[in-house]
Amino acid sequence: MNLNPHIKAKKNSVSAIMFDVIIALVPLVLAAYAAFGFTAIWLITTAVITCLVTDFLFNALYAKKYNSFLDGSAIITALLLSFTVSPLTPWYVVAFGSFCAIVFGKLLWGGLGKNRFNPALLGREFMTAFFPIMSTAAIWSTNSIRNIKDFHLFANDSLLGMYSNNLVFKTTGALGEYSMLFIVLGGLYLIIRKRISWHIPFTILTIFLCGTWISSAYDLELKYSIAGMVLGSIFMATDMPSSPNGYPGMLYYGSMIGLVSIFFILGNVRFEYLSYSILLLNGFTPFINQIFRPRAWGEKVDYAVKTEKIFLLTLAIITVALAIITLHYYDFIKYLIYIYIVYITFKFNFSFIKNIHNPI
Amino acid sequence: MHILSLKHITKHVLIENIPDPPEFYLPLYGYKGVLKTIVETGQYVKKYELLAQAEDLFSTAMHAPASGIIEGIEIIEGKPHLKLVNDFKETAIDLPLQKSVQLEPAAILEILKQYGIEGSGGARFPTHLKYNLRNEDVDVFIINGAECEPYLTADYALMQNKTEALFKSIISIQKIIKAKKVVFGIEKQNKELVTILKAFYSLCDFPVEIKLLPNTYPQGGELQLIKSITKKELPKGSRPLDHRIVLSNIGTLWAIYNALFHNKPYVERVITLSGEDAVKKGNFYVKIGTPVSHLFNLSASKKERQQIVLGGPMMGKAVTDYKSPVTKGTGGVLILPEIQNEKYNCIECGYCANACPQRLMPMEFARYAKTENTTQLLSHRLLDCIECGACAYICPSDVPLMRSIYHGKEILQNTIAL
Repeated sequence: MNLNPHIKAKKNSVSAIMFDVIIALVPLVLAAYAAFGFTAIWLITTAVITCLVTDFLFNALYAKKYNSFLDGSAIITALLLSFTVSPLTPWYVVAFGSFCAIVFGKLLWGGLGKNRFNPALLGREFMTAFFPIMSTAAIWSTNSIRNIKDFHLFANDSLLGMYSNNLVFKTTGALGEYSMLFIVLGGLYLIIRKRISWHIPFTILTIFLCGTWISSAYDLELKYSIAGMVLGSIFMATDMPSSPNGYPGMLYYGSMIGLVSIFFILGNVRFEYLSYSILLLNGFTPFINQIFRPRAWGEKVDYAVKTEKIFLLTLAIITVALAIITLHYYDFIKYLIYIYIVYITFKFNFSFIKNIHNPI
Repeated sequence: MHILSLKHITKHVLIENIPDPPEFYLPLYGYKGVLKTIVETGQYVKKYELLAQAEDLFSTAMHAPASGIIEGIEIIEGKPHLKLVNDFKETAIDLPLQKSVQLEPAAILEILKQYGIEGSGGARFPTHLKYNLRNEDVDVFIINGAECEPYLTADYALMQNKTEALFKSIISIQKIIKAKKVVFGIEKQNKELVTILKAFYSLCDFPVEIKLLPNTYPQGGELQLIKSITKKELPKGSRPLDHRIVLSNIGTLWAIYNALFHNKPYVERVITLSGEDAVKKGNFYVKIGTPVSHLFNLSASKKERQQIVLGGPMMGKAVTDYKSPVTKGTGGVLILPEIQNEKYNCIECGYCANACPQRLMPMEFARYAKTENTTQLLSHRLLDCIECGACAYICPSDVPLMRSIYHGKEILQNTIAL
């Protein structure tokens, strides 16, 4: 017999949510095409196909689910992963990253929604760990293959005009970072459709910009890509399974990502500052959800206890961040990845596989 | 959370009569416990005759909605019902006439008790107990006109068409509870009622207010309504009277009016008949005990994969046996297409937690009901859940949230009982 409720919200299924995210991401694919032509499209397509095939094979093999790869989440992972790489990245590296993103980032956790870390960013770390070329400066010297260098929507003679042109189209950085305008429009679309809320991107960017402003007062020059920050905070930090699900938790999570990414930049993490920060906070998401559990109706909360918990959590996050800076300095991050591979494989074999048909 | 109201379908139609069914199934259960029948199988009963009553703490009574012959007790969906075969002669018994306007408080309470008046919002708490104060002061008497369930317009129709009756009922109740003020809570989508209600302020010798409420679901939930009107956030399980608040539902007021001014026991109520697969839609006077099959035959366009819902679409119960009757707590009967579930994994979107009026985290109930982890279920405050269905309505993955909630509560009840 059917339990209540007997009506459902319309056009609100998981695939509808995924479809909205894809709509928000498609303009960025176009911007990448404008900048690097078929080089960009080839990499993105490689990622999408690898993700879909991996998702299908693994699900068919282990969970006997034959159409779950069509839910759209694999496409999003693929797009986000390819948006973080340079157009000069070899295609097989992207294919490897996509495979790892789906397998180690999502499926070994038990499938869609059960992953603790953002699969795309995890895939990126796998590429860096296994292909040393990914962390060299050479891979970012993209001048030779660029399609269009500049795009002049506004007159380029004034400072304001140049600034505005750069917002619309600027061909430096990774594949997804060429059009700040499209990134922001995509974010607004997702906020209007209630697929993400403003809390996470807003706090990340506010804290981050405050951090850079304070650092500049101490004559510290921070090297970062603002388009990358915005892209990451709108599309990657807001990934539903790996981010907190209440607004107060989101505010805390966003603030900590902003803060920790400043630490990473100060700690000489050249390219990975944002993905480290997001992955780090992903790891703490269950604790954030627990501590920031909404106050139930009529419930009395002991705010002293809560404050203490938040304080200790913050200390833990900062400690881990410092540890990661150290590991990064000695180039030990790859060992972290190896440990992760062993851990998640065992965890899947002995625990998560039993739960693979459970929706939660 | 906002949900489609779908009220326009039946909002502006008058309350109509429908033919009585050939047989009634009178529910022999109330707020708590089972009613004891005082008639025998084969006995001829007249309309309004007392058929069953409970004399325990939560005493209430059931009367014959029509004259006819008792055909014994039948179990429908696990609950006892008294079967009455209608002879369509409408032979009524003579009830002692009352001069309601002069009735003393004690006399009014006695009539509410004898005439089986119960809360008509769903919980069916005996009304005479609700108004029976022990020297407690009442600051505010809230009239729950927030019919937050989609489709349902029975209370709206009463407020629109039977305004004077409702006010007469309120004035009588005020003789007992003497609240400092009376507040009508109605949703913004029904604000055209304001002028209709205001016209009757002059009948009252106490202050009356109207509070417009947001069109959110579940605005008509007792705790949510109290918060919207008094700003007080009462924890679940607390008695409104302890906070000097009394609430009554529109349907209850209508039943009280019929008892006090027309000398009629609670044998009939107004319900909305609606839903996507209903042809005859509207607000109707329906006798308590009318089986849904009767309404279904009157109204449905018969299709595959259909379901009949007693109550609203959010909290109502899908019937498996079409003999299931309209009770004193049924605000509507809906004929709806069965919903198709999507069944994805939970993606931790948090929509359920945002929709939850009690600010709980329903996905955690799904997680821990599966593993029967009572400690976690309690620490996530499952017992505060009001079963409104908002989480399951919004869930994009169709995680079995309601099943987990009911299952979890069952586990907790068993462990507490041990």
